[in-house]
Amino acid sequence: MQNTPDSPIERPAHSNGFAAGRVLIGGLVGLMLAACLNASSLLAEAKRLPDSASRSASLAVWTPLEAASSAVKLTWPRELGERLLGRTQHDPPITLVRERTEVTNETNSGHSELIVESVQKEPGSDPSSLPPPNSASEQAWDENNPLNIWVLGDSMVQFFGETFVSMAQQSSIVDATSEPRLSSGLSRPDYFDWPARIAQVMDEYDPDVVVLMFGGNDAQNIRDSDNQWLERFRAPWVEEYRRRVGFVMDIATDDEQRIVLWVGQPPMRGEGFDTRMQLLNELYQIEADARESVHYVDLRSLFTDASGGYSRYLPDAGGKLVDVRLSDGVHLSHWGGEWLSERLLSEISRLSGLGDLWQQ
Amino acid sequence: MLFPTLAFGLFFVAVYVLNWLTRPHPLVWRVTILGASLFFYAWWNWRFVFLLMWAVVSNWYAGTQIERSLRSENSQGARNWLLTAIVGDLLILGVFKYYDFFALELSNLLGANTTLPLLELTLPVGISFFTFQAMSYVIDLKRDLVKPMPFLDFAVYLSFFPQLVAGPIVRASEMAPQITQRPDPRRVQSAEAFHLILRGLFKKVVISSWLASNLVDGVFANPDGHSSHDVLLGVYGYAIQIYADFSGYTDIAIGVALLLGFRFPTNFDCPYRALSLRDFWKRWHITLSSWLRDYLYIPLGGNRGRNIETYRNLLITMILGGLWHGSTWNFVIWGLIHGVALIAERLIPRGNLHPVLRWLITFHVICFAWVFFRADSFTDALDVLTAIVASPGDDQVSSLPVLLLLAAALGTQFISKAQTEQFRQWCNQHSAITQGLMFGIGLVLIDLFGPEGVAPFIYFQF
Repeated sequence: MQNTPDSPIERPAHSNGFAAGRVLIGGLVGLMLAACLNASSLLAEAKRLPDSASRSASLAVWTPLEAASSAVKLTWPRELGERLLGRTQHDPPITLVRERTEVTNETNSGHSELIVESVQKEPGSDPSSLPPPNSASEQAWDENNPLNIWVLGDSMVQFFGETFVSMAQQSSIVDATSEPRLSSGLSRPDYFDWPARIAQVMDEYDPDVVVLMFGGNDAQNIRDSDNQWLERFRAPWVEEYRRRVGFVMDIATDDEQRIVLWVGQPPMRGEGFDTRMQLLNELYQIEADARESVHYVDLRSLFTDASGGYSRYLPDAGGKLVDVRLSDGVHLSHWGGEWLSERLLSEISRLSGLGDLWQQ
Repeated sequence: MLFPTLAFGLFFVAVYVLNWLTRPHPLVWRVTILGASLFFYAWWNWRFVFLLMWAVVSNWYAGTQIERSLRSENSQGARNWLLTAIVGDLLILGVFKYYDFFALELSNLLGANTTLPLLELTLPVGISFFTFQAMSYVIDLKRDLVKPMPFLDFAVYLSFFPQLVAGPIVRASEMAPQITQRPDPRRVQSAEAFHLILRGLFKKVVISSWLASNLVDGVFANPDGHSSHDVLLGVYGYAIQIYADFSGYTDIAIGVALLLGFRFPTNFDCPYRALSLRDFWKRWHITLSSWLRDYLYIPLGGNRGRNIETYRNLLITMILGGLWHGSTWNFVIWGLIHGVALIAERLIPRGNLHPVLRWLITFHVICFAWVFFRADSFTDALDVLTAIVASPGDDQVSSLPVLLLLAAALGTQFISKAQTEQFRQWCNQHSAITQGLMFGIGLVLIDLFGPEGVAPFIYFQF
């Protein structure tokens, strides 16, 4: 039979297949089975979502399903698999989860006045000037006792961390490590507990220099110690977030010889996102200024164009335009990573009192 | 909306139901599928739906004018409309994808005081794919290889969500009959579709993501910090990663389309078993290589002229093929390497070499070119290549399991089609429910072995 428009195509006799309805039922049964077997993982993922209607809806679906699946031990195979692979829900593997980073062209959300009300700058603090080199400079580093640098943070670190390590290790007396945790931050310790990890690194590796960069995923509602949601950038939120930033800084400076660099957020392409990052930068700077060993590194001046705003392309020292940002308008490109690394190495050289360390 | 996400799963179940319910009603079905495809595209950035619709409207209109001109034997008019459509498509590509690159290079060439305005536009996902499909339609119309499509058919063709963002580049001649002729709803190829989707997810979620985060990204970011073994494994790893990533997407796209009653052309055919570069390009991203052959290489003269002209045509085609992937010099160099290698194969007959030696040479030329494709800059690519020969770093990722994983992944290229077909037939023997259950268990295993979250497909950026 010849095919006519919109008439069924004749398939060869050997070609099997099922009616669309049966395939739908089969597929749904399969998806249902997958959901039951994976219920604990799906519930954990839903819990990590930012406070939103989507999170509430996900929890409403996955919580009873997980309870039912657990009751009949359907979640057991998955949990066994997790255990065999040496994973726990509190230790998500590092991966490129760019979807979750806030990359939007949102408009200004108008939170500025809220944060301004909540933040009282410490009297006499001058964010534009860095303190003089601290006592870490009195130490002597060599190949047997290298300057131990750790870079910790969210996806921003993923994009410049390895470049930094590569550049830092051009000096034979430096040992550098970068540890990014994508989609992480200080707002959601239920996703990744940075204070615990930082304390662990300080305890186990006792670094001489720590570089910290957070914020990209932090402009979201957070839970306080009473498990109540705090709306982002409202006064209680600001107070709690400042406490967390300060707590992390205090953990990192448990050894007062240690140099801690807190890297601020660069300008962002999305107007609303940029505003939120500027507000977070203010908090970081205030907390850093309140601690002698913590030095705030301002990236806005490093990555702004002549008009003072975001630009993907910026002139380098020779006047040549280079592509310093990724197309997402958030992360740093390879060149941007080199710029930031150079800046950080210069600060570390200065603060460690070793002069131009990377010429040795 | 990424394929390996819950959001896509829910979206697809709804589209599947609507597709088969509305299929007997041509107008409703077309509007439904067009609406679903635009919704899928808007998930990334709704503003670019207007760009996609502009490509639909402008190319469809140019197509009707080409057809009208041809019918009235006005070949000059047809040529003018074809030229207008192609210029329009290239303009879209040029503005969004290439303008900043050339403006930047020109500004730097002219000196610091001369800065051309930069647009800093977000690259619309899949722009290279849908503009190439649109161009193939108007060119084929002019060549009288396809009939003009009704507007809604053309809109469904250009925006059809399974292939919209990363191919395969389906020709109008392949899609048009499938849009107009209703597939048999009693014979949905579920076994083949589930198999393709699971295979694609495994390639993407498990292999590609694992290689990226555990081997490739670290090596390419800091080659000097790794040993030569590490860097070499990193390069091999990238060859596997990009294949797993792109062919994984294609497998899922073909599987998803199959569930909706569409059969897409093959896009990958075990490319790393190729014994020559010419063979490789018959196996790698077949729909792009055949597009470049039919719409660029042959119109340039192909191999019909003198040898020197053939070599020129090869170089132009491969360099532009490289540039299609992105607006950086590294993609140009990647294309240039392939072009030069294709010319070298013509100049130096290798027929008397042992097939294993031919395979080794071909695979390593491909890997050499991938270094430029993956590296952030020309200097970085040279750093990687230098580190393969002499790197001061220590072994960090070289281990027997990594080596075995790479060998196993490469080994899958040599699995015969008969074995794959046998597996498919075995799946076919089971009921739809059993197939669904196997699909569900497969999803859980992939989720278990894959890292948390999924990176966007590499080819989305092209």
